[in-house]
Order: sequence, then structure tokens, then C-alpha cells
Amino acid sequence: MGFPIFYLLFGYSLLFWFAQASSWNMFTGYSGYFSFGQGAFFGVGVYTTGVLAAKRGWPLIAAVPVAGILSALLGLGLGFVVFRLRKLQGEIFALVTLAVAFVVAAIARVSSKIDGGSGIALNEVKLPDFLGSFPSMMFRLGLIIAVLTVFAAATIQHSRLGWGLFSINDDEAVAEGLGVPTFRHKMMAFGISTFFAGLSGAVHAVQISYITIEDVFSIRIPLFVIVMSVLGGMRHWMGPLVGATIIHTLTDRLNRAGDLDLFGGNLTLSLSHLNDVIIGLLLIVMVLAVKDGLWPRLARRRWAALAAFVLGVVAARIWIPDMSPIAKFVVGELAAVLVLLPPPALVSRWSSRSGPPNTPADQPPEAASV
Amino acid sequence: MTLYGQAIISGVLIGGLYAMMSLGVSLSWGVLKIINLAYFSFILLAGYGSYELAATQGWDPFVTVVAVVPVAVVAGALLQLFFEKVNIGEFESLLVTFGLFIMFESVASSVWSADFRRIPSTANPYASSSLKIGGFAFATPQLSAFITAIVVGLLVKFLLDRTYFGKAVRALAQDREMARAFGVDHRRVAVLLAGLASATAAIAGVFIAMSQALFPGLAVEWFGIVFPVVILGGLGSTLGALGAGVTIGVVAAVASVTWGPSYAPLATFVILIATLLFRPEGLFTRKASV
Amino acid sequence: MTRSSRSQFPKGLILLVAFAMIAAACGSSTTDTTAGATPDTTAAAGTPDTTAASSTPDTTAAAAPSGDPIVIGSTLALTGFLAPTAAIHKVAGDLFVKQLNDNGGLLGRQVEWVVLDDESVPDTAASLYERLITEDGVDAIIGPYGTGTITAAMQVAERYGYVMPQHTGSLTYTYGYDCQFPSWPAGRNPNVTNSELLYDALESTGTPPASIAFVINQFPGTMYVAYGQPDTDEGGAVSIAEDRGYNVVLDINYPSNTTDWGPIAAQVRDADPDFLFLGALGVDGPNLIAAMDALDYQVPGMFLQWPAPGPMLGAGDSADGAMSVTAFEPHPPFTDDPGYAAIAQAFSDAATAAGLPYTAFETQASASWAAWQILVAGIEGAGSLDQAAACDYLLNNTIDTVFGPVDFDPEQNNYYGDLSYIKQIQDGDWVVVWPANGAPDGVSVQYSPEG
Repeated sequence: MGFPIFYLLFGYSLLFWFAQASSWNMFTGYSGYFSFGQGAFFGVGVYTTGVLAAKRGWPLIAAVPVAGILSALLGLGLGFVVFRLRKLQGEIFALVTLAVAFVVAAIARVSSKIDGGSGIALNEVKLPDFLGSFPSMMFRLGLIIAVLTVFAAATIQHSRLGWGLFSINDDEAVAEGLGVPTFRHKMMAFGISTFFAGLSGAVHAVQISYITIEDVFSIRIPLFVIVMSVLGGMRHWMGPLVGATIIHTLTDRLNRAGDLDLFGGNLTLSLSHLNDVIIGLLLIVMVLAVKDGLWPRLARRRWAALAAFVLGVVAARIWIPDMSPIAKFVVGELAAVLVLLPPPALVSRWSSRSGPPNTPADQPPEAASV
Repeated sequence: MTLYGQAIISGVLIGGLYAMMSLGVSLSWGVLKIINLAYFSFILLAGYGSYELAATQGWDPFVTVVAVVPVAVVAGALLQLFFEKVNIGEFESLLVTFGLFIMFESVASSVWSADFRRIPSTANPYASSSLKIGGFAFATPQLSAFITAIVVGLLVKFLLDRTYFGKAVRALAQDREMARAFGVDHRRVAVLLAGLASATAAIAGVFIAMSQALFPGLAVEWFGIVFPVVILGGLGSTLGALGAGVTIGVVAAVASVTWGPSYAPLATFVILIATLLFRPEGLFTRKASV
Repeated sequence: MTRSSRSQFPKGLILLVAFAMIAAACGSSTTDTTAGATPDTTAAAGTPDTTAASSTPDTTAAAAPSGDPIVIGSTLALTGFLAPTAAIHKVAGDLFVKQLNDNGGLLGRQVEWVVLDDESVPDTAASLYERLITEDGVDAIIGPYGTGTITAAMQVAERYGYVMPQHTGSLTYTYGYDCQFPSWPAGRNPNVTNSELLYDALESTGTPPASIAFVINQFPGTMYVAYGQPDTDEGGAVSIAEDRGYNVVLDINYPSNTTDWGPIAAQVRDADPDFLFLGALGVDGPNLIAAMDALDYQVPGMFLQWPAPGPMLGAGDSADGAMSVTAFEPHPPFTDDPGYAAIAQAFSDAATAAGLPYTAFETQASASWAAWQILVAGIEGAGSLDQAAACDYLLNNTIDTVFGPVDFDPEQNNYYGDLSYIKQIQDGDWVVVWPANGAPDGVSVQYSPEG
């Protein structure tokens, strides 16, 4: 059962986002402490590979765990200072984490031992040959890290730590009153979260191939993990996965430059510009229609969503020839999303006309806003 | 010493521009609990509007404010009305405005292409001009932005301290539910505030077009200016934004002259971290004010 | 819906997806064939047509192209901070492909150019090139715009054995891949040749500067030219200036996203150099000039590394006399060749239609053109789409480009020597001033320390 190389590469990129979004969400989504600093930890991971593997000749396999540890140390150090201070909550915490990202970037830029402004090319890095060719190797590494990250997120969610984090999310003062060791919980969760962010970044450095401060520490990664997690749903470990899948497959497939000639050539719409408009619009619609993220709704309407997905893929297969499998997947996925958009009130009103009303026990918990 | 003096002046003035750029995000996040990335787009598009009028229609760059600001105010007010209608949450606002942000970048790229757009000197004498006092030069665009920022700051201070609107804003910032209980019309206050914030963004855009070249991807580069200003100045504080902008401008300028421009960002961010550790509500806010 | 069935759902979904992914991982090792490496027997027309690599449209070979189109894939920075200049490469590439198709296509087939947006991000560029090669199965590739994305894409090209002509990579020392072909004509050591050329030009006036100030953008390429390869003893513009007896009065670097030029202008004024070497990108030039004007200060002369040429022309009187490097300018003697004159005009028209504010067919556009010429020459030379054959052909033959005939030297990372010129703003427009064989009649370097 062989898959063409491209699916390995696409699979790797999806797994990368799974790891990044899950690692971010396992702290922010559960605890409600809005971290805007994913870039710092991702960046530490990337540059650890850059410095150890590219500049100093370490094998990649050795650099990766070190990257995770360094990232976690940064996270724990930050947490140690910040979590004790009562006033550093909410928006302030977000800004602190953002500031950390800026500072890490500035230090890396100024230090010629790290980057110094020249960037680092990673073509000479010793890759683990035992994992196969490059696409296979990346896929396998990405898979391992994503699985570990998601496993951690799921385990935390259903553990005492997770319960503690959710209670902090709901009301930290009350949680402390109940005896939840809030400082310890936050430290643990943040440490694990940043560990995986760094781990995933370390492997990704090889995919980037040429790392520069501007690119690695740009607002892109922090913003995307937030978008993916909020879209998918922040209080469940499946949320970031759903969000990542939708955002990544959409942006991947919509990336086609071409021109659409309308009105007999009088108006030419450049599709490469339309891409962003489409994505922006879809994002807005999805976010507004589904308050707590897509996952809770998907969990409840799963059969309808699955049916819509299958119908979408089949319809694409029949009516649009020459569509790649991923594109067909996107059509199906959009169809499924469509099914998820109508609000529960509307759906229960419609279904109550044909049967007994849904029990309120199925309502998902409200996601607390920061 | 003139070197340091001149650098500091430059830093102070550009701080005014930074403040104008950041006010929208700061007020929106601090008072309305909306992380509005669309303000970056407003700055950019206002800049493009100014460019278009000045470069192709021959308007004086200062005068373009008259055309550009009302459009921004209306857009900002409408956007806020929309947010009120859907009762948007904080995280959601980040995503929705991010969607708007990338859409606006596309629009700019489609209309003006991705290439640099700079008002030529023949149409814009201000980029190179300055006011000279005592051997020091005060560059015109930055000086104008600084003066405007002070005026806006004083205006907002007046509004906040002396008017009902101001009290309403402060009440909302402190405790939204209580404010509503006391009859503050959240919607009206929010829309007016959004209009004001959009106006400052548009003015910032005009001054940017007056001093720099524009391209669609430029707005992303401003994140690294606006968020530090917001952090230092404290969310929701107008005078804080001004103080923060000036602080950042001056610190960067002094670092630039002492160690070289490549050290300017590091100096800025060290101040940032120090502030957050010791006075996280911002350097310039009193604890319970806007 | 019971509680237990709802909590099984995510696990079930995950297991399904995981199974699919593991199956993909296990099955993959047998399918590592590189797409496009097999010789394309339908188009093996025999003798390589070298005339197609020249400038003049070849009206004798205008047989209508037939059969499946040849697909050439690449990315470009259509969005992001590299987009302003990448826009030029899009226009140049579109024009080249159009003319190619109008003149019989490639190997008798139509050419289709697929361009994806790498958003100025090396990461994205790498994934997109892998996609173009493995999913879309493109027949050939050409490089993106910008050092970062080029360096990333090159590793992908190397992995799959694709010939990669690239136009604007500035980290010459990292490009060790045998089958990458740089079209940028500044040679393997711009850190040496660029500044030697400039200093020669200045000295040709008889009144060279005594002191030079260096203000360098912290971008890898500009840092390389100014200081040489990092972690080596190689020098760059600064050390060469010292070796040649110039007094270096200032040597500072600035972040690429600098917004406050006041302090930098103040430092330059304080140093009071006879000449300013600005390792500039984009609109750094106009920004610094405006800031210096605000201080009522002008440098007697300045050099900009890789500025966007258009905005410099609108930067006022102080920009007069500013210099930069170029490889081609749309004026004689470059346009003495009617073929290239026609191309320059066609490009100008196309750029205007695309809404670009500056439409001259100069360095960037010509480098793009040369890269396409190289690609076409390689394929036609090999007589097929076999990448190894094309690479071989390019390495062993002299290739005709807009910059003249070039020979790729594998010892020099396939660089073929320095064919660049110094250009200067005179009478409101850019014109080549040095070496003299590139300057129009009566035009020469204008510089004196008095300004």
C-alpha cells in the first residue's frame, strides 16, 4: 500500500501543525492563560538544531531532544517568574509572552554565535538515514512528535492536572480555595507545552532548510496556532487537530496563482490575491458561526458531518474531474463544516418538530473568554 | 553631544508616530476587550489612500487627511457595530480581525501591486524637510505626528476626565457589567471609541505615507512596534501609548548611537521585559484609569 | 447519544487517521522515484536548437507547438516582504514564456509556467517545490526570488536531481549543488568583486573619496558583501576599502525593519564621510536620504547595494549621483542588440499593464530573463526533459544569455565571473557609468569629495 511521496510531505506538514497547535493549546486552551509567545519556543527549537546540528555537526537525532529541553527550560524559567505574580494574568500574560518572543529573537539576531543576521543553511545536517529517504524520515519524525504531543494533551485533559487547569480557567481564586496547587499545575503544563513546541521546531528546521530570524520569529506561527486552536475548539485535545486540518488543507489547496478573466477580459482577478480573501472570509464565517470551536459541534453532529463529508467527496469526484485527492478532501471538509455551522438553537427547533428535544446534558461546557 | 541630542529628538518624535499607530489596538483591547488587528490594515490603507491622492491627484499630503480620516472613521464604526451585533469574544475578535487583515492586504496588492509605492519628492516635499531649532532638526512628518499625538492625548484626557463619555469609557474599562447596570450604553460608547481609534490609525497612515514607501506586506512589520508600545503603555491608556512610544523611540535611538542600530531592538525589548516584571500594567498607567 | 459513545468518537477518529498515516509511512519506501527524471521520448527532436537561446525572436522556427504542454514549476514571493521585487520576476517570467510559446515553444511543445506563492517564507518555498516536483510532477523548475527562499528550494532541487536556474541568490558560498545555475552576474565572490568594481569606478574620476562610511543592512546577502563569509577570514567591502587606503570612518549595521532613520542619519553626519556605502535593500536609500535631508546634510556621494531603483528616482535632488550595481540597463550599448531592445520594450509594456510603478528592464528583470534562457538552453541542449542530461549540457557548453555568453564553473559553485557594472543616477535616471564599455557615449562616473 504505497503512497506517493507527496502525501508524505503533505502529511508531514499537517503533523507539524498538529504538534504546534496541540502543544500551544494544552496550556492556553486548558488554563485560559493566553500565551502569545509560541514563536519564542518554536524559535528556540529551530535554532537549537541550527546551532548544534548545522554549525557544530551534531546529528539531528541528538539535537532534537536538546531543543525540547532548552525550550522547556525557557518556558519554566518564564513561568517561575510570571506565574507567581497575581497581576500577570489575562491580557498582561499574553503581552509578556509576546515580549519574550521579541527578546529571544533580538538576542539571537545580535549574537553571531547563534545567528548574527546571516541566517543558517541546514543542507549539511546529519540526518537519520535509518528512517529512510528524506520525505519518509520527515514524516516519521513528524508523526512521532505529533503523536507524543497529542497523547500528552489528551492525557493531561483527562487527568488531575487537566481538571486543575480547567478550574483555573474558570476561576483561579476559587480553584486555589479548593486546594488546587495552581502554581505547580501551571508550571507543569507550561513546561510540557513548551517542550513539545521546541521539539517540533527542531525537526522543522530541516524542512525550512535555511533559517533566518525574520522568518522563524515572525508572527506567523504564534498567530496560526491560535487561529487553529480557537477554530477547532480549545477545551478538548481534538480541537487543535480539527482546526489545523481545516486551515492547513485550505491554505494549501488555495495556493494557486492564476488569472480569472471576467467580463471578456475587462476585469482580471488575480487568483493569488483572491486566495487570501477567500481564506479570510471563511475564517470569519466559521469563527462567528461556531462560538466554542468546531470540535464540540462535530462531536454532537458527527454522523451528519460524516455524511456531508462523504457526499462532498463523491460530488467532487463526479462533477469536477482532475481533482487531486487532497482537493477532494477539502471539498468534503467544507461540506462537513457547512453542516456544523447552523447554531444548536436552530437545529433543535428543527429536530423538535420531528422528535423529542435533545437532552441538555449534551451541552458542551462554555469556553471561558480571557 | 549634538549627536545624542539629535538622535534623542528623532526618537521622541517618532515615538509620537508609534503612539498614533498603536492607539487603536490599545484602546480596543483595553477598553472594548477586542484584539483588533484590522487597525493595522486601516493604517496601511489610509497610507495608500494618501499616496494615491498625493501622487496621482496632486493633493498636498497633509490635506489628504481630510479625505482619508472620515472613511476610516466610518469603517471603524461599522466594524464595531458588527462586533456588538454578534457579541464577539476576545479570542474570536483576534481571529475575525486576522481574517480581515489578510483580506485587506490582498486588496492593497490587487489595487497597487506588490511593488513599493512612495510619494515622489516632487509631490511630497515634507519627507526631506524639517524644522530647525537651535542647531537641531525636527523632521516634518515625525514632528507632525508627534504634535498630533499630543493633541489627541490631551483631547482624550479631557474627554475622559470631563465628559460623560469619558466616564462611561472608564467605567466600561473597569467593570463592564457594573457599568451596564448603571445605564452606560455600551454600544454607543464602543462605536464612538472605535471611530476615534480609527481616526488615529488613519492619521498615522497619512504620516507614514509622507515619510516612507508602502507595500502590502508592510503592515505585518508593524506588529513589532505596536505590541511593544501597547505593552509598555498599558492597555487602554492614551497617554500611556504616547509615553511608551516616546520611551521606545528614545531607547532605540540612544542604543543606535551608542552601540549601533543593530542593538536597538534588543535594548527596546529588554526595557519591555523589565517593565513587565516590575510594573506589568504598563509604565504609564495609574492602576485604575484609562 | 450516550456519554460513552461520544467519548469514543475522537479516539475512533484518531485511530482511523493514525492507521492511514502509518500505512503511508510503511508503504512509502518503495515508491521513492523522482518524478520527471525519465527521458521524454516524444520530444527528442535531435539537434539542439541553440538559436532559441538568443535574443532575437526566431521567426524561422515558428511551427505551432503541439502535444501536451511542458510544465515548468516555481514559487515566487507574491505576498510578504519580498513581494515588491518578486512582482518584477513574475512579469519577466510571464513575458518570456509568452514569447517562447509564440516562437514555437520548447522542444516543439507549449510551455506552461505554474507559479505558487511562497509568501517570502523559506519553509513554504521548500514545501511547495516538493509539491511541484512530487505531486504535480512538473517537467522542470526554476528558482524563486530572494536569498532565503532560493537557498531552501535549492535543497529540494538537489534532493530530486532537478536542474535549478536561479536568479537572485546572494549566498554564493552555500550553493554547492552541481545542478544549480546562478544567473546573477556578480560572480562567486561579490564580497570582493563588487567593492573592487566600485572603488575602481571612484578612482577613475581622478578625485576618489578619502573616507568612507559603511552602513549595512543586517540581511545575509548585504552582510556577506560587506564583511565576507561569516566565520571566515574573508574580507568584504570594508576590509578591501582599508586595504586600498580608504579611511573607514563609520561601520554600523541596521535591522532590516528599521523605522527610525534619524539616529542613523545623525551618525553619518557626525562621521562626515566623503562617501557612503549603504548596504541597502528595498527603500532603505530614500529613507536614509530623507532623514539626512531633514538634517540639511548631504553626502558627497553614495553607493547602494541592491535598492529598488524606482523609489530612488523619486527621492529628490539628494539622490542625484547615487550609484548601485547592475547587469543590464535599457539603454545603449545594451540595447544596441535589437532583440534585447525589443524585449526591454515589451517588458516595459507588460510591467505597465501589470500596474508596476517602475517598468525598466534592468538588473532584476534581466537576471530573471537570463535564468529562463539558461533553463531553455539546458533542455534544448539535452534534447529532452531529462534533468541529468540538461545539467550536463549546461556544465559543458557556453550558454548565450542577455548578459553575454557564459560558462558555468563548477569550481566556483557554477558562477561564471563578474559581469556587473556600476550605474549612477544622472539627470534623473539610472545610467551605466563603469566600466566604460557599458556606458553610453559621453557618460562617465561623476564623483568628487566636494559633492
